[in-house]
This record gives sequence, structure tokens and C-alpha cells, in this order.
Amino acid sequence: MATVTRPDEEVLRLGPNIPEANIQLPGVEKYEQVTREIQRTLYPTKLWFAGLSVAIICMLIGLGAWMWQVYMGLGVAGYSPPVMWGVYIVTFVFWVGIGHAGTLISAILYLFRAGFRTTIYRAAEAMTVFAIMTAGLFPILHLGRPWKFFWLIPYPNWRLIWPQFKSPLVWDVFAILTYLTVSSTFLYIGLLPDFAALRDAEPRPLRKHIYGVLSLGWRNSELEWRHFARAYLFLAAFSTPLVLSVHSTVSFDFAMADTPGWHATLFAPYFVAGAIFSGIGMVFTIIIPIRRWFHLKHYVTLNHLDAAAKLCLFTSLVVGTAYLTEFFIGWIGGNSMEQSYWWNRVFGQWWWAAWVMLTCNCVLPLTLFVQRLRRNTTWLFTLSIFINLGMWFERFVIFDPSLSHEFEPWQWTRYAPTYVDWAILLGSFGWFTMWFMLFIKNFPVVAISEVKEIVPPPLRTPHPVEGIEVTGMRLAFEPETPGERD
Amino acid sequence: MSENSTPSGVRRREFLKVLGAGGVATAAIGCSSDRVEKLIPYLNHPDETVPMVSNYYASTCRECSAGCGVLLETRDGRTFKLEGNPDHPLNRGALCARGQAAVQGLYNPDRYRSPMVRNRSGQLVAATWDQALKLMEQKLGEVQKGGRAGSTLFLNRHESGSFPAFLDEWLAANGMPAHLSVDPLADNAVIAANRQSYGVSWPWLAFSAARLIVSIGADFLDTWGANVPQQLEFADARARLADAPRFVYVGPRRSLTGCNADQWIACRPGSELAIANALLGKGSVNDAATASDVPVATLQALKTELTGARPALVLSGVAGSDAMELALAVNELNRQLGAVGTTVQPDRAITSFDGIATDADVIAAVEAMRAGQVPLLMIRGVNPVFTTPKAAAVVDALKKVPFKVSFSSYPDETSELCDLILPDHHAIESWGDAQPMANVIAVQQPGMAPVYDTRQTADVLITLAKANAGIAAKFAAPNYMRWLIDRYPGGTSAFTLALEKGVGTGAVAASTAPRRATAIPKTAAPIAQTAGDLFLVVYPSCSLGDGSGANKPWLQEFPDPVTKICWQSWVEINQQTAVKLGVDTGDILRVETAQGAVEAPAYVFMGIQKDTVAMAFGLGHTAYGRYAAGVGVNPGDVLPVGFDAKSGSFAWTATRAKVTKTGAYTPIVTTEGSARQHGRGIAQALTVRELADLAAGRVTEHAEAMPGMPNTEYLPGLRSPMAADAQGVVSSNIKHKEQGMYSPDHWSGMAKRRWAMTVDLARCTGCQACVTACYAENNIPTVAAPYQESHTAFLHGVAGGNILKGREMNWIRLERYWEGGEDGGDFEARFVPMLCQHCGNAPCEPVCPVYATYHSPDGLNVQVYNRCVGTRYCSNNCPYKVRYFNWFGYGEPARPQYAWPERLSWQLNPDVTVRGKGVMEKCSFCVQRIREAEHRAKAEGRELRPDEFTTSCAQACPSRAITFGDAADNDWTVAKLALDKRGYHVFQEQLNTFPAVVYLKKVNHPAPAAPAGV
Amino acid sequence: MQGIVGVFRELDATVDAVHALKKLRAGNIDIYTPAPRHELEGILTHRPSIVRLYTLIGGLAGATFGYWIPIWISDYWPLVVGGKPVPSWVPYTIISFELMVLIGSLATVAGLFITARVPRITMTVGYDERFSNANFGVWVECPPEKQAGVTETMKRHGATEVRGER
Repeated sequence: MATVTRPDEEVLRLGPNIPEANIQLPGVEKYEQVTREIQRTLYPTKLWFAGLSVAIICMLIGLGAWMWQVYMGLGVAGYSPPVMWGVYIVTFVFWVGIGHAGTLISAILYLFRAGFRTTIYRAAEAMTVFAIMTAGLFPILHLGRPWKFFWLIPYPNWRLIWPQFKSPLVWDVFAILTYLTVSSTFLYIGLLPDFAALRDAEPRPLRKHIYGVLSLGWRNSELEWRHFARAYLFLAAFSTPLVLSVHSTVSFDFAMADTPGWHATLFAPYFVAGAIFSGIGMVFTIIIPIRRWFHLKHYVTLNHLDAAAKLCLFTSLVVGTAYLTEFFIGWIGGNSMEQSYWWNRVFGQWWWAAWVMLTCNCVLPLTLFVQRLRRNTTWLFTLSIFINLGMWFERFVIFDPSLSHEFEPWQWTRYAPTYVDWAILLGSFGWFTMWFMLFIKNFPVVAISEVKEIVPPPLRTPHPVEGIEVTGMRLAFEPETPGERD
Repeated sequence: MSENSTPSGVRRREFLKVLGAGGVATAAIGCSSDRVEKLIPYLNHPDETVPMVSNYYASTCRECSAGCGVLLETRDGRTFKLEGNPDHPLNRGALCARGQAAVQGLYNPDRYRSPMVRNRSGQLVAATWDQALKLMEQKLGEVQKGGRAGSTLFLNRHESGSFPAFLDEWLAANGMPAHLSVDPLADNAVIAANRQSYGVSWPWLAFSAARLIVSIGADFLDTWGANVPQQLEFADARARLADAPRFVYVGPRRSLTGCNADQWIACRPGSELAIANALLGKGSVNDAATASDVPVATLQALKTELTGARPALVLSGVAGSDAMELALAVNELNRQLGAVGTTVQPDRAITSFDGIATDADVIAAVEAMRAGQVPLLMIRGVNPVFTTPKAAAVVDALKKVPFKVSFSSYPDETSELCDLILPDHHAIESWGDAQPMANVIAVQQPGMAPVYDTRQTADVLITLAKANAGIAAKFAAPNYMRWLIDRYPGGTSAFTLALEKGVGTGAVAASTAPRRATAIPKTAAPIAQTAGDLFLVVYPSCSLGDGSGANKPWLQEFPDPVTKICWQSWVEINQQTAVKLGVDTGDILRVETAQGAVEAPAYVFMGIQKDTVAMAFGLGHTAYGRYAAGVGVNPGDVLPVGFDAKSGSFAWTATRAKVTKTGAYTPIVTTEGSARQHGRGIAQALTVRELADLAAGRVTEHAEAMPGMPNTEYLPGLRSPMAADAQGVVSSNIKHKEQGMYSPDHWSGMAKRRWAMTVDLARCTGCQACVTACYAENNIPTVAAPYQESHTAFLHGVAGGNILKGREMNWIRLERYWEGGEDGGDFEARFVPMLCQHCGNAPCEPVCPVYATYHSPDGLNVQVYNRCVGTRYCSNNCPYKVRYFNWFGYGEPARPQYAWPERLSWQLNPDVTVRGKGVMEKCSFCVQRIREAEHRAKAEGRELRPDEFTTSCAQACPSRAITFGDAADNDWTVAKLALDKRGYHVFQEQLNTFPAVVYLKKVNHPAPAAPAGV
Repeated sequence: MQGIVGVFRELDATVDAVHALKKLRAGNIDIYTPAPRHELEGILTHRPSIVRLYTLIGGLAGATFGYWIPIWISDYWPLVVGGKPVPSWVPYTIISFELMVLIGSLATVAGLFITARVPRITMTVGYDERFSNANFGVWVECPPEKQAGVTETMKRHGATEVRGER
């Protein structure tokens, strides 16, 4: 690449030029390299098999717990009325939230032309699909009669008995199913050219055949690319309002109720911000090991992580503001029931949960103001774990303390999950991890064709050619990245 | 007698239950004894037993000695509900919780299935009646040959009526002494005093005639005397609002009765006599004050108020060492205050308590046994091993008796020790009669054929007599029923007539046997002289009585009206004392006396005098079936054996105890969340003055028309704006075709009605009879029996786990809120029956994703069990928290949580399904009764008559606090009551729910001197 | 169908070749590229993709259906819940929105498949595995008499390989 030049001195003094740098992959120079290095990640390893089996075991534990619960009745879980929704709904909202970052990165950042999305969006989007698959289980397994869940789905029947469309739970059914369909479609469409690439690059005959089928005969012709770009744009344009609406709808489950602590107009934006925050946390949890074990550090560079960390910090601040607003409204609203509820949540019976939430979601992320920590993968990973924990507790703190401290003092109560709740929670992580494990060894975890878009194209002459807008001619200064090549 | 109808009926019944249990409860219920098919009681005039149509047989309740009149609702050969008999002079159609729970005694899974004989290896084994009777005859023969018949003993559970006479006749014929008629709950001291003062054992207490009621430890709303008639009278008195009597309660513990008092004077146990004397003028107020630790001013004020208020009513019911003296003093006080004849009416005496043997007699009998003088002991319906203190060592005494016969129907502590069990019928299976009042005979008739292979004791005795050639002639009647009819004044025709109403006139045969006069064996030492640092007050439990209720799950799960604790024993301790001992609620305390020690969790309670701890009697059985055994502890284990010197009645509160903290902890099994309202206006009250202002229309906080207050434009009908709009009442913006059945001119006419309820808190005493009535009517499962606790909160075989998790299913619950008293001073208790409010803007409805709950055109908040998928969102959104979820398969016989082990399931109301696992349920305003009445009206081609029917809770309520009906039709009582100025809706201001339940504010009567405002 | 396919390693070479081939008017040209490049966008045609039409129609259909279903049901079987009007359009907006997104997206995908003629069972003539990896390809569909000229043009512009296919 004759086009790579060292930056001049004043750029050095300016420090890293992230906005430009994060669309640069100095470690990647050729189209062939991209295909080769991504295809290389598709060979299963012992470590992978170990992880997969652990995931499956966790899933089976959860499955067993659920079967026990179906047989005995929901009483084996920790429900203590009036706390009628417990760990399951908390976990449901947790997973839905996780999903949102994927769509944000793949769709919204696509519309905003944010360069750093390119190499991480595939992993994030897969995460979305699997998170929704996980979340979708919980509304069913928290039912008193799960075998009747299909009554919530509007299916034609001769008695013309339909769902009650005024119920937020029915809105959920629509939102979640739509979200699952659209995001998995989006994922697959994005995968098409990569399948084609793998179909042509893959030496193993069976896989070659499978990719051939999956690629739907894609052949990289200009005609295809033209429609592809257009369709991809519209899918992104649809996913953007969808991702906002889905979690708003989920938040309506609570905002539409009269329960103190739920009944707030703030909930839609508050939940969306929280969702994206938790999702980005999960992206870190996922992408940092992957870039290490799959030797993709020169694809997912520190600059990408840095930029994502900024987004994480921003959403954390939004969430923190939402918390404060909640407290403030609870106080200024002058409703004694609201006030007593808030007091009980933060300083009373539930203080510990509330403070776990505040610490993990509002205090720890503040460290991301420091660039050295933003670029420190170990810290990012640790922090992401805390964020996941904190966001799970956020949902817990919103739901259960509210129910345990409602209008009717005579029915104030405690709530403690039982082994069944925990087992099913564990199972959900097993289920999610299982799918993700299967994904990363069978599908390109970094988008081949999209990376090729930002790799400088092979040119016959080093100078700009007529009609060619040559991207990425200037390489911004990058402290660690080159050193990270392996 | 329509035999053909019954089998189909029975099958239908099973079918219904199967339906209810979501198609899971099936075969296990099939063990219906074929005898049921054989006999439908052929008593009502003329017999119109139709399958699936209820017959109501008038009978008499035998759960306590009072003997209220009941109607046995019987269908297809099974009695499944007890309702008060409106024609009965005592209970006038009301019935207490214990009375209603009688059916659970009838179908109790632990009843003896057949006679039992103790075999050589010492086990009780089932036997046939022939074997059992032969053995009995043989033993009787031996005793008589041995010439020891004169020293045999017969302990019988006290019941008024002919049976005592019959029994004594039989005993006399066998050369045996008269029986002992035992009632551990009877206040023998008061009875003796009344006999001495008025010549009757229980004068009629006309509370409504009084201007001031002073009760010195007399819990006339719990177990003292005939509580249902007393409660009716008391509620009527309170319903007079402005000129209702003020009620002052004097006692160491604030019982349910005390909680209904306007003022509570906490005195030391044992000081009651001093107080009474002070009031009487015989003793000085100062001495009384020092003795009782009550401020002089308080007593002085009471004394002056007492002299001022005429007529007053003073009661005493203290089971202490000077009980009779106190009772006499109180009677004297009443005489002085001119109460006799006005508030105390000897001429309307209740005769149910005539002929009760004193506790001293019982103990004397026990001593006789211990001395080995008793060759043969016969026990029917009493359980002395449990009901007498351990210190009396009844068990050892029984061991000295060579042959013990029990007629008990249940394997209780006593019958377990007997050698021969001849199980008696349950009262619902038996013939009999009672003499509740002079010249009133209440008949008792069976509602159905016997559930198990039991026989009525009277019939057994007749059979035995016939077997004995010597006396057979004396007992010519083929059975006891015939014996009764022969002796009934007016003969068969009069008897048959009496059967219809349940009551007749005349007097039953009285026992002529000489009453044995026994000396009082052991006078109780004055309580102050006993060892210990705190006074120990043992009082009979409201629900379990003398412990005989402990084998009925309804009564076990029935929260104590005051402490709201169930399935558990507890020690009530004053908070100041608790602080001193470093005790908090749930810490296990050790209560120790010279006689022994018991351990139970502490319940820190404002309503107990600070030098006193209290425990309820009735729990702590070691036998008596799966619901009773091992639940709680028995405070009788620590009581000394001592008697009131004069009357020989047992001194329950006669000792002090050493109370120590063990360090162990157990969560209190309570249905209570927070005992304070936090100013949320759930239970509202006003003082007499405020009431006057309200009546005069003077401006109070209720004056402005707050939406939903029963004085806004949406009444009559209590409809919310939107619901009324949907129902076409107000100007509708909804297209007619969208209204469907909600259109007032729809052919069904449903939208014309609005079912509603008023609850008068001035009447409500918090007795919770409504709760049990609801359990009985609506097939509500009990969830916290020991055997139901596997898989719940890791409590295996420990009662109460599901209650700890708040999973009780009481569709109507009594909330008991404390007002004031934070400073340790006097406080107020407010009771609110909380049930589904059937809101016009029901928050639960729009959140249900499957239309499992919606608003019916006649204003009901409908719950469709079969449609419910169990999202439980409705409950989350219910501000009143009156929706209950089936966490387990309570209706599925295969489950460890099955709530109706055979044959409790026979009690299930065939009109109501048993809800399956995983569905939500709640109060339906007894929709089955509504529809039944509507269909009856339609069948008879007429409109519903106002107040034609009512809900189960309203029907049972012994204070007549609940009124149900059509609020949209002004001819119904409820429509008028809803407009009462005291009316309010709970949470209406905050939530705009437009409930269909109107609460009428409680009215408080502060002391004349006290400032307004409670 | 027969023609010539040329394999190019460099982007600018491909662009030049295509321009030249267009001047040659040998026949329909198609370009294969591992990744979409702006340089190649406008060369062959300027007609915008019609996928947007499918999106529009799908979205509108979904929105309408999402309103119609709940309203029709409420009307068909009127049940009052929470004292609210039987058909209340506000909550139904959410159903409508979700269905708009769902059907709109699926229509978009359908549009992509139809216009881009995927899925297809077999690779068309002229495709080469290298085109998905690192190389650009130009396919000219032309009769045998013109093939010589096309081959020559491609070679001139630096095609690494030129071969005829049929």
C-alpha cells in the first residue's frame, strides 16, 4: 500500500484522532487478507467445545427447573403476593434490553454513518437475535398455564375469541415477535455476501455446500449490490424506530399500570436508554474475548472499543439522569403513596438492591471519562460485567419493590426468589450462550464485505485515478493498534 | 324418597368438581359411600328433593353450647353448607365461623371410619358394630355384676335439650350415677353468680338498651357466653350511631371484644375485683388503682360516667381465682344502676348453659379415676386430656381406669387412650333437640346419611338397653328419634311442624337425676402470690374454642381477629416489656411456671398490659388429626390446677410466669402487612360530634361532591362515567351497535342492574364470620396445612409456609388497622372487610391480554377461570390487592397441596367450580347466587324482589354489617344505604376506580371529657 | 447466452475497462465486485432501485391491517374493560405501528429478492469464485464476432485473465 503515509508532527501532538481513526484498519491491507482471516475463525477449538458444553449444561439445569415448575405449579418459585411478577419478568426485560444495543449498532449507527460500527455490528446483531430468543421464553414460562400461551397470539378461531388488544401484554407479543423477525431478517440479509464469500473460499466440502445454500446464489454482481444497498438502508430505517418502540412497549407493561413506582410517563425513554446501556455492556462482554481468541484485534481495534465506550458512558449518564428524575418526580408529585414507596425503595426494605443498581450503572461507568481506561480492555470487560449486573438489578428494583409496597398497607410484603428462579435465570444464560457459541464458529463474526468496503482497494497506480474517490488515504495516528497485530 | 334422582345427582356433583379442578381432579373423589345413594333425608314438607336443587333442613348447631339454629343446605344427599336459621331466637339467621366450619367436622378426613377396639398388642383396630357392641355389653355386665356400676363415670359434651335427660335415664336404669355435662368454655363463675342473683344461668344481655357498656374481661364477642346473639345485640346497639352506647373495656388484654371498645383500661390480671368493688363503692378507687396499675383519674372518670349513664350494662368474664365474687359484685352493680330488667333481662334468659358441670366436678372425677375407684369410664365429645391442664395429670388418671369407652368421632388425645371407640354421629347426622330459651325448643335433624360407619350415641345406648333384658322395657322406642317424638310436647304433628321452622314451643324433658355436689378440691392461690415476673393470661382462641376446632382447616387458617396470626401459637407481649427484654416479634420466648414451660414466638402487641403476657388456648394438639397435631403449643401445659373458691370454675388466669428469650427466631405466620393505614383512608371513622355535623349538613371534609362519593351524579348505580357511558346510562358517545348487552334496551336487561355492596363499619366487629362463609360458599382452598408445605419455602411439614409467602386465598379478608397508641397510650382498632370492589373503572380489566376478566353489563367484575392464562397482571394492577392466584394444584387430589383430602371434598359447593392450578380467582359477589335468584325469578315469571337474596358473607354476618343488592334499583336496601352520609369509597380520590363497595364510616364515642377527633 | 469474462485485480483498472467497453458497445455489461464501491455505482445505470416501492406498499398495508383487526374485533364482540370505550384507537396505534414495521420489512426483503433475482439455484455463466474474494470481474454478453474486440480491450486495461464462456 503505497498510499500509507506517516502523519505530520502537529497531528502527533493532537493525540489520537479517533473520529477518523476508528474507520481505519491499518492492520488490514488486502481483500484476500480479510477473507482469509475471517474464514480462519471458523475452525472449532477445544476451548470452544468446552464453552459450548458448559452452556448446554446450564441450559439443561434451567430446563429441568422449568419442567418442575410446570408440574408443581408456580408456587415453587419465590412469588409472595402481591409480588406477582418476580425474577422471570426481570430477566425478560433484561434480555430484551440486551438485544437493543445490537440493533442500535447495526441500524442506527449505520444511518448515522458511524464508522466504528463496521467490525462489531455482526457480533452485536447476532447478540440481538439470541437475546430476543431468550427474552421471548420468559413471558411464557412465567405464565400460570404456560401451555395456553398461544391465547395471547391473535390466531383466527371459529369462536372469534381474540386477544384483548388494549392490554400491554398483547402489545408486547406484537413488539417482541416483530422485533425478532425483523432483526433476524436484517442479520441474514447482511450475511448474504459473506456467505457468498465463504462459499467460494471454504475448503471443507460440507460447509462449502451449506454456505452455498445459505448464500442463495449471491454472486456479487453490480445489479445485486445496487438493490442490496437500498434494501439494507430501508431495513435499517425500519429497525431504527422499531428498536425505540419495542422497549417503549415493554416499558408500557409497567407505565400503564397504576402501581406506585411504575406509573410514570418517563418510562419509555428511560427504558430505551437503559436497554442500550445494558446492550453495550453485553457487547463488551462478548466482543473483547472474541477479538482476543479469534485474533481479530486489528479488526476490532482499541479505537472501536474507545468509541463504543463513549456511547456506553453517554447512555450511562442518560440512565443516571432518569433515576434522579424518578426520585425528583416522586418527591415533587406530592403523592404520599409515591413518596413512601420511594423512601422504602432507596432507604427502606430494598436499599441494598437500589444501591447495587446505582453503583453499577451510575458510579462505575464514570471511569470511562478517563481515556486510558476506555482503551484498557481488561477494565472494559470488568466494567461490562458490573453493568450487566447493575442493569438486571435496575429491573428488579423497578418491579418488585413497587409491588411489595403498593397502595394497600395491609398487603405490604417481602419477596425472596427460590432455587427455581435462580436455576431458570442460569438456564437463560446457558441458552443464550449456546446459540452464540454455535454462531461464532459457523458464521463470520466480522462482516467480510463491509470490512472490504473500508479497506483501501487495490489500485494500479498509487495516485488518485480519475473518478475514483479513494477513501482512507490518510492514516491517523494510532498508539497501540499496530503493536496489537498478531 | 327419590332414590333414582340421587345417583345422577352424585355423578353430576363429581362432574362439576372434575370440571372445577381443570379436568385433573378425578378418580380420587369417586369413593362415595353407597349409603349416600340410599337415603335423601325425607323430612321437608312434602319431599321435593330434585337433583341439583338444594333442600334446607332446619337443625341446631352443636359447635358450642349456645345451640344456635342452622339451616343445612343439602343437595343430592350431601350437606355442604350451614346457614343461620332466621327463625331461631338466638342467632336470627346469622352464624359464627365455628358454626359454619361444622361441615369440616362432618367430612373431616381423620374421623373414625368405624368402631375401634384395642387389641392384645395395644393397638386400636377397626371392628364391626356387632363386635364393639358385644364387647360393650360384656363390660357393662361385668361392672354391674361386680356391683360397681355406682362408681362408673360418663363425661358428656354439654348440650342443652333432651339428651342429658335421656342419658341420665339410661345411666339410672343401669344403676349408674348421673353424667357430667362438660363445657371447658363455659364461664361457670358467671353462671353460678347469675343463678344466685337472678335464678337463671344466662340472662339476655340487651346491649341496644344500654347507654354505657362496661366489660370487665367479658369477651362477649369471642367465646364468652352465646356470642352470636350477643354480637347481634351489640351491633344493633352500635348501629344507633349518635345515641349508641359507649363501650369501655377493662382487662389485661385487648381481645376482639376489647378492640370494639371505645376505651380500653389496661389493668393487671387479678385486680378486676378491686376495680369492680371501687365502681360499686365497696372499695376505694385508690386501692383499686394501685392494685390494677390504672391511673386513679381513669377509674374515677369511669365511676362518675357509670353513675351518670343509665341504663348501663356491666359485664365480667374473668376466669380468675375470685371470679364468682367479681361476678356477684358486677351483678350488684347492675342492680344498683337499674340495669336489671332493662339491659340485663333474666326473663328472657338463655337456657343453653343450664346443667353444666363445674370444672371442679371434672377434676374430682379425674381424681376418682386416679384413686382407681372408677371401673368404667364413658366419654362423649369431650377431650379432657387436652382441655385440662397437664398438671391435672389426666393421662395417668385414665391409666388407672380398667376400661374406657369413647364415643368420640375423632382420634383426639383422650380417645387415643380409650379401649373401645363407638364413634358418634356428627351433629349434622344426628337427631336431637335443644332448649335455647324458656318455652323454645330447637330441633336438630340430620341433613344427610352418615358419612362413615358411625352411630348416634343415643341409638347405641338404646341398642345396649334393649340387649339388657332388665331394662329393655324402659327403652321401648326403636331409636332416639322416636324417643324424642314421643316426648315432644304436641306429639308427632307438632314435631313435624317444628322441623320445618327449626324451632317449636314448649319445654324438653329435663334430667331428674340428682346433681352431685362436690367440694372444690383445690382453690387457686391468688395470682399475685405465684412465682414469676409476668402475669400469664391464657384465653380461649376465637376460632378454635377449647381446641375442638383445631382439626378444621378453615378455622386453623382463620387468622386470629386481633393478632391476625394463624397456624401458629404466639405469646402476646407489650412493646415496653419487649424492649426491656430485648424481644422483637418472632423471637421465640420461653414461658415458664412451676408446672412447666412452653416456647412460642413473641408477638409485640400494644393491646396487652405491660406486666402481662397472653397466650391463646386451643392449639398444640398431640393427636386430633392432620390439621391439629403438632401445630402450635398448648399453654395448658404450664397452668396450675386451681379453682375459683366459690363456683369451682377453673382459674385460667391464675399464675405468673417467668418469660425468657431463647434466642431462636421463627417468622410469624400472619396475614398482616402493615398494621397502620399511613393516612390512606382505608378504614375511616368519625366521632359522634362529626357525625352530628354531617347529619346537620354542616361543612365537613365530606361535603364537596368528590367523584365517586356516593352523592355524585353517577348514582344511583355507582357507575363510573365510562362504564355508565358504555352501559348507556349517561349520554353515550358510543354507537349503539357497539354496546351489545351493555345497552339498557338489550333483551337481557342486564345493563339495568348494578350489583353493589355496603359495609357498615359502625356495625362490623371484625369477627370474620364472613371469611369462613366465603370459604364455604366459594370452594376456597386452605393453603397452609402442614402436609401442604412440601415444596413451599423449604418448609416441609411445617404449617404456614404459604401464608408466610402471602398466598392465603381469602376472597374477603378482615384488615385490622391500629390508630394511635404510638405513645403507649390507648389506641383504636379499625376493622375493614376488604373484598373485590367490582370497580366501574376496574384497573385489572384492561391489562388482561385474553379477556379473562371484564366488566359484565350488571356491573360485576367478572373473572373467567377457564380463559385465564395466569399472567397475574390483573393482580399487579389491583390497588386493593384482592385477587388471589392458584400457586399450586390445590384442587388436584394427586398433588401434595390438595386442599380437600377425602372426604372434605364432599363439602364443595356444586354451584362453584374448584379453580385449577395457575389461574387467578377473586370475589365474584357470589355470582352463582345472583344467577340462581335471577333464574328463579324468570322461572316464576316475575321480576327480582328487592333484597330477595344476598351474598354468603352478608348472610352469615353476625353484626349485619354487610348489605348486598342492586344499587341501580332504589327499592333495594343497598341503594338507600349507599347514599348514607357516612359513605366513602376506598382509594377513589387517588385512583378514580369507582368501586361498587361503599363503606360507611365507623362511629367513635370518645369519653365525655375527651376532645373531639379520634 | 455467451460472452467474455475478464478478471481484474485493481479497482481503477476495472473502472477504466468498463468505460472502454461501454464505448465499444459490444453487449450487456455486468460487474462483479467483492464489496460495493462508489466508483462502480453509476457506471452501468443510473436508474434508482425500485425496492423502495415494495417498502412503501408493505408499510402502508401493515399499518392499515394493524388498525383494522382490533377495531373489527372490538365491534364484533363488544366487551367493556376498565370502563373504556369498546373500540379505542389509541392503544391500537401500537399494534398498527408494529405491523407496519413487520410487513414493511418483509416486503423490503421480498423486493430485494425479486429485483436482485435471488435466490437462484445455479451460478450464472461468467461468475468466478475470485469475485467474492479479492478480484473484480467484468462480464460482457456478446456474439462470437465481437469477442475478439472485447478480449483485446480487457487485456489492454490490465485484466489478469480473460476467457470466453457459454
